[in-house]
Amino acid sequence: MPDTLHIDAERCTGCTSCMLACSFAKAGTHAMHLSRIRISRDEEIAEFQPKVCRQCRARACIAACPVNALTLSRETEAVLLEAELCIGCEACVAACPYDALRMDTERRLPLVCDLCGGSPSCVEACRFPRAIWYGEDPPS
Amino acid sequence: MKTSYPGRVLAVDLSTRSVSKEALPPSWIADFLGGRGVGARTLWENVPPHADPLGEDNVLILAPGVLTGTSAPCSGRTTLLAKGPATGHYLKSSVGGHLGISLKLAGVDLLVIRGCADRPVSLVLDGGDGRIVPADTEWGMTVRETTASLRSRYGEDAEVTCIGPAGERLVRFAAVMTSVYNAAARGGIGAVMGSKRLKAIVVPPARGSVDVADAPAFRAAVQKARDALYNDTVAKDLHRFGTARDVDLLNELHLLPTRNFQHSTMEGDAYALSGRSWAELGLLKRIVGCGGCIYCCHRFTRVPSGPFAGVSSGGPEYETVAAFGSGCGITKIEPVLAANSLCNDLGLDTISTGSVIQWAMESVQRGVLPDERRDGLDISFGNEQAMLELVRRIGYREGLGDLLAEGVARAADVIGAGSQAWAMQARGLEQSNVETRGSLGYALAFAVNPRGPDHLHTECLAEFGGTKEGIDLIERITGDRRLAVPSKEEARGVIVRWHEDMYAVSDALGLCAFATTAAYSLTESLISHLYAAATGRSPTDLELMRAGRRIETLERCFSLREGLLPERDDRLPDRIMSEIAPDLDRGEPVSDRKLKRLLDQYYHLHAWDLHTGRPLASTLSALDLSFAEGVCTPGDDR
Repeated sequence: MPDTLHIDAERCTGCTSCMLACSFAKAGTHAMHLSRIRISRDEEIAEFQPKVCRQCRARACIAACPVNALTLSRETEAVLLEAELCIGCEACVAACPYDALRMDTERRLPLVCDLCGGSPSCVEACRFPRAIWYGEDPPS
Repeated sequence: MKTSYPGRVLAVDLSTRSVSKEALPPSWIADFLGGRGVGARTLWENVPPHADPLGEDNVLILAPGVLTGTSAPCSGRTTLLAKGPATGHYLKSSVGGHLGISLKLAGVDLLVIRGCADRPVSLVLDGGDGRIVPADTEWGMTVRETTASLRSRYGEDAEVTCIGPAGERLVRFAAVMTSVYNAAARGGIGAVMGSKRLKAIVVPPARGSVDVADAPAFRAAVQKARDALYNDTVAKDLHRFGTARDVDLLNELHLLPTRNFQHSTMEGDAYALSGRSWAELGLLKRIVGCGGCIYCCHRFTRVPSGPFAGVSSGGPEYETVAAFGSGCGITKIEPVLAANSLCNDLGLDTISTGSVIQWAMESVQRGVLPDERRDGLDISFGNEQAMLELVRRIGYREGLGDLLAEGVARAADVIGAGSQAWAMQARGLEQSNVETRGSLGYALAFAVNPRGPDHLHTECLAEFGGTKEGIDLIERITGDRRLAVPSKEEARGVIVRWHEDMYAVSDALGLCAFATTAAYSLTESLISHLYAAATGRSPTDLELMRAGRRIETLERCFSLREGLLPERDDRLPDRIMSEIAPDLDRGEPVSDRKLKRLLDQYYHLHAWDLHTGRPLASTLSALDLSFAEGVCTPGDDR
C-alpha cells in the first residue's frame, strides 16, 4: 500500500522550512502563499500546527470537482491536478473537510499536494524535528 | 536575471515622515554581498562622523541576508546595524525569528531608517511600501503586549519587531525583539530604535516571492547543504538540547563564569541549569525554529509548578543561563527562566543585564555600593528576588536600575571605589559568558570585536577540539590538528581570522553562524554553490571569504573613524587581564604581554600596522576600501 504523509504537531518548531521547500519545489520560487503545506503559528505560546493534504480516504475534493480535473495517482495515491481542465471554481477547496486546500489566486488553481511524486520536499526539510514524515516508520 | 537579492532599499525618514524606494549600487552588492556587509557599507555612508548614537543623525538599518527567504538551510538571519550607544563605535546585532523572511517577501532587501519621530510611531510595511502610523497605544507596553496589540490590528500572522519599555527609556543595552522572543540584543540597538521613537516595525504577510538565478543548481546545492548539517555532531546537539546544552560540561571543565568571573565553577548542581535536563524537569514545552532553520535550537520553556509556576518565554540560551544562573550565584533554573522572561518582555539584552547585576552584587560583597544606592534590597549573590527586582528596575530605569541601565562601565565610573576592576567590560560593552582566560582564540576574538567583547563576531568553537568537525577544521586552516587546544597561543591569529571571515560571510548571506562556525558542516564550498545558484554571481571560495574580510575591515574603519584607539581599546576586561579565578585550573590572566603577542599575530595577518593596529592604506586599497583610507592611515587623525 502506498505511503502517506504523517504529522505530529507537537514536534513542529514553526520554522516554516517546509513551506519554503514546498513552494520552491512546486512553483519554482519561494513564496509562502504558494506552499501546499501551511504552518499556523501561535508564537506567544509556541504552538504550531502543520496543515496539509493527508490523502484521506474520503477524497471529497475529487468528488466535488465538476470537471474531473482531480484524479488519484496510481503510484502514490496522491491527488493529482490536471491544470488545463480546472475551471477555478474552488469546489474542491470548499469540500475538503480538513481545510487543507487553498487557491493560488493568481493562476486560479487549487494548490494540490501531489507528494512530489513520492519524495515530498517538505519532509526533506524537516529531518531534525520530524514533525512531518512520509511512510510508516514513526520518528525515533 | 533572477536573483535572491535584487537590492531593493526602503528608506524611511522619521523626521520628515517620508518613505522612498531606492536601489543599492550594484558594486555594493558585488563587494559586500548583502545583509551585514551591505549594511556596514550603508552605515559608513549614512552616519556622519561623530554622530550622537541616540540622536537624529544615527541610522537604524535592518539587513536580511542574500539567501534569506530561500530554502537554503538556516538562512533566516537579519542583521541590525547602527552606531552603538554602549561603545560609540560600530554596532551590528543579528537576529533570527521570522523577520528576515518577512522583509524579503515584502520586497525589502534593506530597510534604512533615518531621523527621529516627534511622537511614538510604528512603521507598517505593506507589499514593500511603508506607512508611518501612531504608536500611542503601544508605547509603554511590553514586547508581548505590543505584539498582541499590533497583531489584533494588522493580522495574527503579521511579523512584529519592536522595543519594550527598556528601549523606550534608552537603556544602553536595550534589545530589539522580533517573533515575540527573538532578540537583536547586544550593544543597545533597542535604545537606537527608542531614540527614534519607533515602537515597532510591522510586516503583514506578503504575497511576494524570493527567486533564485538557477533553480536546478540551487535545488542541488540546498540538498547538499542540508545533508551536511543533518550529519553534523553540533547541529544534532543544538537541535536536541539547545545552546545551553553544555552548562554542566563547562562546569566540569572549570570554564563556567561564576559570580562575575570570580570563579570558574559553580556550587550546586550544574545539570539543572543545563539544557539537557529541561525536558525531564518538565520545563521544555517546545523546540522552536527560526524561519528557514533546519536544526531549530531555540526553546520555549514554561514552569509547571512551584513559586515560579506559569512563567513562560522563548529561550533561555546558554548566555542567559550563565548570566542569571552561575553568574549571579543562582543554582536553580526557575529564577533564571523568570529573569529570561522578564528581559524578553522588557526588551533587554540578557548578557549585559546579567553583567551589571553581577557587578552590583560584587560591589555589595566588597562593601562599596552605598546603602542609599541599594533601594532597600539585599543585593547579594544568590538572592533571586533581588536579581529579578533589579531586572525590572533596569527595564523601567527605577532607582538603582537607572544607574545600571547606563551599562557597567558608566555605572562603575559613578560609584568608583575601585569597582571598575570588576566591571566585566571593554570598550563599554559587557563581556559575554566565555571564560576567555582559558580560551585564547576567544580572548583574541573578543579583544578585536568592533562592537565589544563577545563571541558573536567571531565564534571559534573549533579551538576547543570538542568535535571531529572542529578538529578537522583546525587541521585544514593551520595544518596541525594538535592546535585544537584553547590554551595554546600558537596559530590563534589564523584561527580567529578564518572564523571572522566566515562569520561575516554568514551574516551577509543571512546564514546562522552556528551552522558555519560552530557546526562547521556548511563549508565555504557549499556556501559558494548556494550563493552562485541564488544570485548568478560566481565568486570562488576565496573571493567569498575575501568579501568577509572586506566587511570586517570596513567595520574596523568605522570604529576607528568614531574614535577607536586600538592601543587603548583592543583589550579585555581588566579582571581577565590581571586576575585568575582560584578554581580555573587551566589558564592564567591574559596579560598585556600575552595579548600583545596575540594581537601581533592578528594585525600581521590582516596587514595592519603592528604598532597602531590600523589598516595600512595599501591593505585598504587591496580590499577596494580606499574610500575609507582618510580615517585609517596611521597618523592621520591622532
